[in-house]
Amino acid sequence: MTTTVGVESSTTPPPGLAPPQRRLPLANTIFCVVVVSFCIIPFLLVIAISFGEKIEGAAWRWSFDHSNYLRFFVGADWPDTRTTLYIRRLWFSFYYAIIASVLAVATAFPFAYVMSRQSRRSQTLWLVFLLSAVSLSEVFVVMGWDILLSNRSGLPMVFKETGLTDWLKTSGWFEVLREWGLANPRNVRFKPTDFATIVTMSYLVWPYAVILLYPALARIDNSMLEAARTMGAPPLTVLRTVVLPSVRLPVIGTTLILFVFLLGSYVAITVFAHPSRQTLAVSVYDSVRGATMNAPFGAAQAIVLLITAVLVLLIVWMIGRRTEALQ
Amino acid sequence: MKILKAGLQTLMMASAATMVALPIIVVCAAALNGGRSMLFPPQDPTLARFGEFFLTEPVWKNALMHSIFIAFASAAVAVLIAWPVAWWLWRYNSRWSKTMATITSMPFALPPIVFGVGLGFMWAFADLLGTIFAGIVSHALLLVALPVATISIGLQSIDKSHIDAAHTMGATEAVTLRTVILPLTLPYTVSGFFFTLILSFNEFIVMFFVSASAYSTVTLQIFNSLRNGFTPTMAVGAITFIAASILVFGLIARFGDLPGLMGADQARR
Repeated sequence: MTTTVGVESSTTPPPGLAPPQRRLPLANTIFCVVVVSFCIIPFLLVIAISFGEKIEGAAWRWSFDHSNYLRFFVGADWPDTRTTLYIRRLWFSFYYAIIASVLAVATAFPFAYVMSRQSRRSQTLWLVFLLSAVSLSEVFVVMGWDILLSNRSGLPMVFKETGLTDWLKTSGWFEVLREWGLANPRNVRFKPTDFATIVTMSYLVWPYAVILLYPALARIDNSMLEAARTMGAPPLTVLRTVVLPSVRLPVIGTTLILFVFLLGSYVAITVFAHPSRQTLAVSVYDSVRGATMNAPFGAAQAIVLLITAVLVLLIVWMIGRRTEALQ
Repeated sequence: MKILKAGLQTLMMASAATMVALPIIVVCAAALNGGRSMLFPPQDPTLARFGEFFLTEPVWKNALMHSIFIAFASAAVAVLIAWPVAWWLWRYNSRWSKTMATITSMPFALPPIVFGVGLGFMWAFADLLGTIFAGIVSHALLLVALPVATISIGLQSIDKSHIDAAHTMGATEAVTLRTVILPLTLPYTVSGFFFTLILSFNEFIVMFFVSASAYSTVTLQIFNSLRNGFTPTMAVGAITFIAASILVFGLIARFGDLPGLMGADQARR
């Protein structure tokens, strides 16, 4: 492997360095083989085991049948009956992730824009704040929102104590909330609702959205904005004609990256989503380590999730190529 | 008009910051609860939960030790793997070095539950499932993309004239690497180390599949007790983790180039 190194070097290689030397090629090769196999073998194993066969008890054996995929798409008893349980779960993975990521990008955009126009020092302080928030484990984020949205403390209590619930009841809005599933007969409620799920998931990626949008926005040249302004463009026109066109592709790319990230979210779904409206990530977990103990079927579900993620990331990659080509 | 605009901007930034901070503040307050339930505002405020988390309850003490050990070890392994990958990418920029960089970024880019399930199978075949070693290597592989990214940014920021100067004075490639490139990229290497450390500290899905209930980290312990609900002792864990994140990223900001690491144009100050 190492012998091919350096042949195509064209742009970045620093001029001062001597031509590549072929020292320690063996050690390098071993290093590469080990690292690459550790990164790839887990994925290959999931693919291989997804074709496996469950045997009674908790075990499975190697095989090559596609009954796991059949079960995923049309159900185990097909063609007698057809169940869409797992397609529904895939749909819910999509549904929560796309709404939450669009919501996060839409609300993060103005924030990131203002932040990128501030001094280097305040940018750094904001970044410390955002990085601390984004690295926070999903379990802690869900813990916080659980307190904020649960019926015994948090928002429903605030609604009740401030008389907002009574006002809603007299004004008729309470019935609307009940229709939306956001209230029980006595008070508003947020658990379990899609609303709580999406808010929490959106919160999970919001700082990440700012961090991903920030470089594209920080690179917009201030002189361009000033030029547009001197020529008499009102702020909204500047936003529409200068800012948005130059960040269109990064915005789409960011949304898709957040989408892939949210496909794997687990805790927010189990705590906030209704059991009949849970996602593929939860079902993978249940099959592999949870109640059902069917590793091959869990692997097949994981592969569907993986293929979805890879397809979306390919779009991101193509967007990145186009952005580079445009610059 | 200008004042109004500035006011609106400040208001927006402040409300966004409040929204981000709100659940965190609520969790911190919930740690003070005297009872077993997570109430806000806290009932019978007490600091006893801190004692439980750090001193008396072995479950949490052990989990914290595992978290810290795995975070440091996996960050070190990740940096050791990342350095050659980033170096080859910068030095040769060949198709082969790009492939290496792409492959090492795959575990981080794809849903962690898939990688976690696969690692669970892999360690089971290697008969290493449930060992701390498997946990460390798994986290290092999952997060190696981060130090690769930071070290690459560091290498790109090196002024070419330094390397020219070293070469003119007769330094070999190895000497240049040791005396010029390594010291200049040290802040970026250290940043990569700590990014990995913090993310490993907070990660639990992959750890769930590779630890196989043989041991648990703090976040995994909370994840495992999810069905019984959250308790104030877990909130102490949250406070510990938030404090660690702020400390680490604050230090990176103080001694490193955080806007640069996040991809802002390096020339604009």
